[in-house]
Amino acid sequence: MVPVEFYFMLACVVFTMGLFGALFRRNIIMVLMSIELMLNAVNLVFVAAGRSIGNLDGQIMVLFVITVAACEAAVGLAMVIALFRKYGTVNTDILRLLRG
Amino acid sequence: MSELSNFMSHAVFHALAGLITLVSFMVVASKHPVKSAVFLVVDLFLLAAVYATLESHFVAAIQVLVYAGAVVVLFLFVIMLLNLQPDQLRGLRFNAPEAVTLILALIGMFIMIGVSVAGKPTGLGDGSLTVDAVADGGGNTYVVAMKLLTDFIWPFELASVLILLAIVAAVVIAKKDKKDQPA
Repeated sequence: MVPVEFYFMLACVVFTMGLFGALFRRNIIMVLMSIELMLNAVNLVFVAAGRSIGNLDGQIMVLFVITVAACEAAVGLAMVIALFRKYGTVNTDILRLLRG
Repeated sequence: MSELSNFMSHAVFHALAGLITLVSFMVVASKHPVKSAVFLVVDLFLLAAVYATLESHFVAAIQVLVYAGAVVVLFLFVIMLLNLQPDQLRGLRFNAPEAVTLILALIGMFIMIGVSVAGKPTGLGDGSLTVDAVADGGGNTYVVAMKLLTDFIWPFELASVLILLAIVAAVVIAKKDKKDQPA
């Protein structure tokens, strides 16, 4: 059986990739995809830890995380469409009204 | 567990982990969003395979159905709806602030790995639902469904309310407004 630490390491790597993408990319759609990547890393930790301690609550949590992620993607992409319609771009260098 | 099956499970995990790392990087680094979305599908399938090796069959199935099947299709629809021109796209470029962010992200990754390796998860629940106990109790899907529809029935019902709200919100936000013209 593969030790649970290996799964945690994989999740850390995937989470860092997602963080990297969310901070680096200038396209809002790419930022949303990177957020999905980070959520998946967290799901992996839930499942792996739940298995190592003999508890299924982590898998239930993953189901709720998937639900919330689907809702977040739907609303976020609707906002992307509205933004593109209003400003004609999805680049965060140009959409900087809230940057302060 | 025999020596061979132990070796095989390690080999499968390391192959999947390497592929997931590679594909995740491709998701982040691809210049065109369509390529990223396709790599994201591959990534989600590989993660579903990891869930299957962890004996979490129901989560693996939902991962494929909802994430790879629905969420990424939504992304692809929006990308094609926007029809971005090539000059509006840019790949990864390394300016000084971005290099600093990368270094900070890598430091954060090593801290996360160190913390997660140092402390094993302990002490949540009675630890009675091991893989063998779940297999004896009717299988992963049965046990998860029983928990979901008894202990977690209120969060389950609230999730349906959340989905309804998200549908309404998405329709209202994306609705065409006559006043909005591209600037």
